[in-house]
Amino acid sequence: MNGYGGSIVRINLTTGNISRKPTPVELARDFIGGRGFGAYYLIKEIPRGADPLGPENKLIISSGPISGLMIPGAGKCDFTTKSPLTGGYASASMGGHFTAEMKYAGVDSIILDGISPKPVYILIDNEKIELRDAAEYWGKGTIAVEKEIKEKFGEEFQVALIGPGGENLVHYACINHDFGRQAGRGGVGTVMGAKKVKAIVIHGTRSIPVADVKAFQAAGKALYKACKEASFLREWTRYGTTVVTSWCDEVGALPTRNFSAGSFEDGKDLYGPVMREKIVITDKGCFGCPSPCGKYSRSKKYGSYVEGPEYETIGLMGSNLGISDIEAVAHANLLADDLGIDSISTGNAIGWAMECYEKGILRKSDTDGLDLKFGNVDATFELIGKIARKEGLGALLAEGVKKASKKIGKGSEKFAIHVKGMEQSAYATHNATAMLLAYMTCDVGAHHNRSWAITYDLQVGRDLIVPEKVARVIWLQNFRPMFDVLGGCRLQWVELGIDRELYIPALDAITGIHRTWEDLEKVGERIWNLTRLFWMRENPGFDRNWDLPAPRFYEDAPSSGATKGQITKFEDVNTLLDMYYEQRGWDENGLPGPEKLKLLGLAEFLV
Amino acid sequence: MTAIIRPTSALRIYIGNKDEAVVEAGRTVRETLISLNIKPELIALVVIDGENKSKDYIIQDGDIVKVLAVIGGG
Repeated sequence: MNGYGGSIVRINLTTGNISRKPTPVELARDFIGGRGFGAYYLIKEIPRGADPLGPENKLIISSGPISGLMIPGAGKCDFTTKSPLTGGYASASMGGHFTAEMKYAGVDSIILDGISPKPVYILIDNEKIELRDAAEYWGKGTIAVEKEIKEKFGEEFQVALIGPGGENLVHYACINHDFGRQAGRGGVGTVMGAKKVKAIVIHGTRSIPVADVKAFQAAGKALYKACKEASFLREWTRYGTTVVTSWCDEVGALPTRNFSAGSFEDGKDLYGPVMREKIVITDKGCFGCPSPCGKYSRSKKYGSYVEGPEYETIGLMGSNLGISDIEAVAHANLLADDLGIDSISTGNAIGWAMECYEKGILRKSDTDGLDLKFGNVDATFELIGKIARKEGLGALLAEGVKKASKKIGKGSEKFAIHVKGMEQSAYATHNATAMLLAYMTCDVGAHHNRSWAITYDLQVGRDLIVPEKVARVIWLQNFRPMFDVLGGCRLQWVELGIDRELYIPALDAITGIHRTWEDLEKVGERIWNLTRLFWMRENPGFDRNWDLPAPRFYEDAPSSGATKGQITKFEDVNTLLDMYYEQRGWDENGLPGPEKLKLLGLAEFLV
Repeated sequence: MTAIIRPTSALRIYIGNKDEAVVEAGRTVRETLISLNIKPELIALVVIDGENKSKDYIIQDGDIVKVLAVIGGG
């Protein structure tokens, strides 16, 4: 099948059974790949009510039709599962080279279920698929283990692995790759840890069939040409995602002290140019990337080397914790990466704990003696380790802020910054109604990558509540995640501003199937509805309350910074939801009904 | 006394869908953006001759001013 590795690999960790079957043509036609394959297998194969950490849950790892081909950024890999953090849909995207290697090994998806009786790693080398004893790696950090595995098998073998955080079932454990890339969100690494899989090691030497080689080469060249000629290629490459740090501070979007404000008085010490000057050694890109956003850094103060920090980590482990030392942020980033826990959720959870401490809700007797004031760098480092090891307060924070605040109570739920149990990523949404709605309705919880609408707020008016704003959020939700379906990176479109139409002839030439962006957005809408069904099915009583933001954004206006005194009224939050549901064709509780599902060709998935 | 402004592709609609526009020198970047109906708060980075500048930089004769907006997002 053109554009595909050609097979779906299934591994039952309980029995050790391994199978490899051709990728279904209908699946490729209707769900295309990556996140689409993940959503399909998730709802089709995971039994209702499955324990996310139990043997019935599955971890579905998928490449897409452009993965591994000479298309800018064609190195994205999707990890889908039932989330131990939220109890709903989790899909995390990882850059690097893993997905390309999957294709070269002839694999479109790897589906893991069951639980291994002992720690193992999976070796896939073209036709060979084996489970191997991972006793020598279990308990070790991700950096050392990836290095050991590469030394054992060779540089060309690609590795996706978990750290102690995943082994210890921290609910937001991530999967690491290439010494600094992660499938970060929703606890995909927790599920891998529950299955006792330390690593997946993959290598392949096959070529990927392409429908029209000449047309593909021409389309690929056109894409690279557009990237190389982009007017801001130099700046994006120089700063990567940290180009937005100063801007977020300026417009009040930089999370500060557990999102109590959106501007940080010492924010300038975290800005992209400062970081570049102080700690960045070189740029680091993923497969086929012409605009490497990864920054490889060295902290002299802490003696650490790390890929990062990128903007999200700077926001959550810097300003959100009242920390203005970029070297401290880089070191915190390294600790989280090596321990295999999501730096976004980790920073958010520590911010919540710091606010609890400053408000007297948590005392030193609750924090194992840590003085958890905002800005305490050493306490931050210590707490990151405690979370990964689930020690003391770390065990509570390892459950995520939704569950932790429920246990602690005393009003701490009001400043637990999450949606559906997923900690909000690094955009403060005080009086930024499009971005707030994007977080509220994101299909995995409060994550930014589906619909990044904050500049739209600035363009049309931050507090404006109009159908056009809601339509923009929905369009982005249908369109942007299609890059995760295709198996590529959206940042060339996002950052370099290349015309998305340039991808169409490339996709046509690769698959031999003509699709327009309108067709692709329809697939995006189908997947969006399918994942909504999964939330409904797995959470009895699922309704509009699940889509509410943290009360901080409608009750607790910042007392400083660019958004000082600004708040979204609760009635406006509800108006946003009403408009959103209406435009999505869902009922007043945000549930897609039979007619809508039939219209989308999803009748077979009716709950 | 003129300069050239080169906005990020998403902002080209403000300058007649062209890659660049000729603007007057002697005004700040902020004032220049406003004169083009571009909200200054959309701009994340101002670059002149490879150097980052603030939005309060006064544009000099012959400057080529690149302004980057993060429309697409993270």
